[in-house]
Amino acid sequence: MNFGSSVEKLEEVSKEEWTERLGDVHPTRTEMNKLIMNYLVTGNSNKLIMNYLVTGNSNKLIMNYLVTEGFKEAAEKFRVESGVQPSIDLDQLDERIKIREAIQCGKIEEAIALVNNLHPELLDNDRYLYFHLQQQHLIELIRDKHVEAALEYAQTHLSERGEENPEILSELERTLALLAFENPEDSPFGELLHPSQRQKVASELNAAILETDSTPNLANLLKLLLWSQEELDKRKVKYPRMTDIATATIEDTKSS
Amino acid sequence: ITVNRQMKNCVIGNNRQKTLLIDQGVIPRLLQWVIDDDVSIELRTEAAIILGSLAKGTEDHANSLIESGCVSVLLKGLLNSSLPFVEACLRCLRTLFLSPSPPEEHIYQDATIVPHLINIISKSICTQECITTIFANCCKTTDDQNTLCGNGAIAALAPLLNSPTYKVQMPTLKCFAVLCYKNETVSKTTATATYNGEAIPTLLVKLLARDKTSEMQMAAAKCLTYLCRGGALPPRSNIILMKTLPTLIRMCKKDRTLGENVEGAETLAYLIEEDAELQQVASISDHIIKTLADYLRYTDVQQINSRLSQRKVVNWSNELKQAAFRAFASLGANDEEIRKRIIETENLMEHIVTALSSTDIKVQVGAARCLHSLSRSVQQLRTTFHDHAVWKPLMNLMSKESEELLAVTSSTLCNLLLEFSPGKEVGIQPRQKTILELGAISILVKLACKTEVSMRLNGIWGLMNMAFQADINVKTQIIEAIGTEQLFKLLSDSNPLIVMKTLGLIRNLLSSKQHIDQLMKIYGTQIMQAVVFILEGDHMVEIKEQTLCILTNVADGDEAKGFIMENEDVLKKLMTYMVHTDVKLQISATSCISNLVWNEEEGAYNRQSKLRELGVQKLLQQLLSASDPVLFDKVYMYDKKVSQGFDVGIEEIVMKMLQVDAGEIYFIVLSECIKNTPKDKPRQQNRHINHAHINFDTFATTTKYQNTPKDKPRQQNRHINHVHINFDTFATTAKCHNTLKDKTRQQTRYINHAHINFDTYATTTKYQNTPKDKTGQQNRQLSKNY
Repeated sequence: MNFGSSVEKLEEVSKEEWTERLGDVHPTRTEMNKLIMNYLVTGNSNKLIMNYLVTGNSNKLIMNYLVTEGFKEAAEKFRVESGVQPSIDLDQLDERIKIREAIQCGKIEEAIALVNNLHPELLDNDRYLYFHLQQQHLIELIRDKHVEAALEYAQTHLSERGEENPEILSELERTLALLAFENPEDSPFGELLHPSQRQKVASELNAAILETDSTPNLANLLKLLLWSQEELDKRKVKYPRMTDIATATIEDTKSS
Repeated sequence: ITVNRQMKNCVIGNNRQKTLLIDQGVIPRLLQWVIDDDVSIELRTEAAIILGSLAKGTEDHANSLIESGCVSVLLKGLLNSSLPFVEACLRCLRTLFLSPSPPEEHIYQDATIVPHLINIISKSICTQECITTIFANCCKTTDDQNTLCGNGAIAALAPLLNSPTYKVQMPTLKCFAVLCYKNETVSKTTATATYNGEAIPTLLVKLLARDKTSEMQMAAAKCLTYLCRGGALPPRSNIILMKTLPTLIRMCKKDRTLGENVEGAETLAYLIEEDAELQQVASISDHIIKTLADYLRYTDVQQINSRLSQRKVVNWSNELKQAAFRAFASLGANDEEIRKRIIETENLMEHIVTALSSTDIKVQVGAARCLHSLSRSVQQLRTTFHDHAVWKPLMNLMSKESEELLAVTSSTLCNLLLEFSPGKEVGIQPRQKTILELGAISILVKLACKTEVSMRLNGIWGLMNMAFQADINVKTQIIEAIGTEQLFKLLSDSNPLIVMKTLGLIRNLLSSKQHIDQLMKIYGTQIMQAVVFILEGDHMVEIKEQTLCILTNVADGDEAKGFIMENEDVLKKLMTYMVHTDVKLQISATSCISNLVWNEEEGAYNRQSKLRELGVQKLLQQLLSASDPVLFDKVYMYDKKVSQGFDVGIEEIVMKMLQVDAGEIYFIVLSECIKNTPKDKPRQQNRHINHAHINFDTFATTTKYQNTPKDKPRQQNRHINHVHINFDTFATTAKCHNTLKDKTRQQTRYINHAHINFDTYATTTKYQNTPKDKTGQQNRQLSKNY
């Protein structure tokens, strides 16, 4: 087979581009959790991913997953059992979990206060993130039909934002448009009221607190794996394909 | 505390709230809390956090804090034992030091502050981040650098290079950069310091690796660049040549951000500025010239930091342009081939001309630097520079106040003023006229009167170049503008280069018979005074030689001869120099005598007999007999390269002198001399050209040449060129011009020499001799081609 003809050998890909390309492949959280469980129980069933790719660092990979995803108790137990030290203080996890929970329950102001206590500079540095928190608060007010409060909040806190940045202004307009509908959930902007919006804000905040891309290393690895398989499939290459991530089942070569 | 917490949550992220609170006078109250030992530490911490948030507002907010004395209160707070409180204070301080007008003076006001900061630097990641950032932004002067270094900053910072936290590594790199920038002592301390057995340069090289962020690679390359320019790392070392240089070139590439492009090109320009080999290597690395050329075509003005509260408008077009210009200037500093490749950049000259008139001073300086570098090429001076009106914008720039601009523009002007025209070439005269109309003389005179050595030098140098082959009006204008008094001042300057150039100016003024007589009539007394003043002074040989050359020129005038003949003191001095131990002086003095006794001129007989009375003839005979073994040897020893040129030179002159009595016979002997070496003829002729330069001979030799080969018109043309060469102080450059048509390659080489001299120091006479290398060089070039 000839790779050379279709692939530009010297093509340089920046990290950003690479991440973007990987962005289209999604190992699900459930899949990963199953994989972890599998590893924890059997210890060897997914050798290919764990041991082959990260040569002996599988425990660290697991710890990284537990910590970034906020499984505090599991992380603590895993530390005791495997002897791997988490990269950050596990108590910090508590705080992050608390903040995440607050947002997921719609208690945005509480979350803001928590953030300010722990990371006093964060929201001053990242005003766009702060806007998203404020926007979420506004959404919560609208959800609870506190129309007047919502309007007042928008006026006192958010108009300033809009002046600072035109991008913000359009987002703000979309949010306020919710007020115009009898049933905002059914409006074209209904997605803002969906729980996934809370998730999004929570993740953004979580990432900002972690100061880095908060995707667990394991997820990145799996993304690479899936993407490579996709590329190979596109070129009709025969290879041992992994069909089930959770159990790391690998097919026979000929079946491809 | 709850009130405080509310205030905090309200202030964070809200500029409007910040303004409101500041207007209500909250700052003094907060400061009161921070400083009050009786208040609980929690409240004090909260107060410091609120101050920190206020500082993160607009520039005005930060300034109000600084004006309220916030900095010293917070610095005092650092002495507290509570880490959260200290961290809150440090965070606020960091923000203030990152503001556009950092309060750096506070750090050095009290001598205990720096040691304390270094002391607590390792306490936590937060202290590391903050203190490195503060240092990186408060280190502006050499004193600052030395203070920080003297307090052990380098040992404290070294471990942080290995920190696992990116946010610590980055400001640490910035710290090293500002500490080492243009500071030899600190650079050397840094280069020799180690951490865990690894030298700092080695640690820095690790951060150049491609798996690090661009930002980090850039910052590390900058540190290494500064270490190199600070004399702590040799430019030819692996670290620089194989690691730093390629990294910087990588940063200039399209796939990096505009900011990295600009920084990369600027740092590259600085790294290679003074090393010809680095320039050479850089010029052939990854199409750098083409990459930089693309910078000139960028036209957008973009906003960055849209995510953060403060949005900065950056004119990327200007930033990229000036960076490219700077890099071009460095790349082409020494090598003609590189310069040629740069100039081939599409529309480069148009870009430069436009940039010279830009409103952005950085762009102006960049363009002027680039122009300066390119002006070292005679070929470009005669072609590209000729086609583009660089004069006007350049002269405009010179009237600006900026010192940096003036240094570059005046050097450029010097080069541009070099007239390479052998005669009255059409097209060049108008150029000089334009410059004159633009007030070049007065600008240069102003420079020549400045207190800074480099400015004085450029001023007098420019005048000297301007006087070369100028018409009498220009010459008179120059003398009147500078005045004899200032000329005397310059002649007693402590810098020998300036004295040299001043003498060069006088020499160039006193060229061509008519001008000599005309100018001597007006300024004769002063000029003779100046000559005696220098001849009696304690000066290096080159200066005395220049002075004797002036005398030689004076002796070429008709009436001007009188100034020497009537001054027995000067005549006796000339005789002393004829037997001087230095051959160059012997030759110059002898040339002068030769001009005085020249047969064909009026009153020659009287002068000859007067000189004979003084015993000149005896001296000449002495010289000739000496010239067989001893003088020849001496000449040979003086400089192997020029030995042949010299031996022909002195013999010829002396021989000519001996023919004085014999009258007509002289010519016969001389032509015999030439005829005897038929095979070598063309080479000899070259040699004549060479030693003509060495001698600084004036009309004496040339008239002779003109008289000799009547039958060979082509040669005669060449000789005529010599006349002009002889008047040039920078004989090489002019000479190169003469060989232009036949030997382009060589020409450019010599020109390099001459121009390099312009910037550093010039022992021009030395370089003039280099033509002897010619054949060798040519061979080398040929073999390279194969």
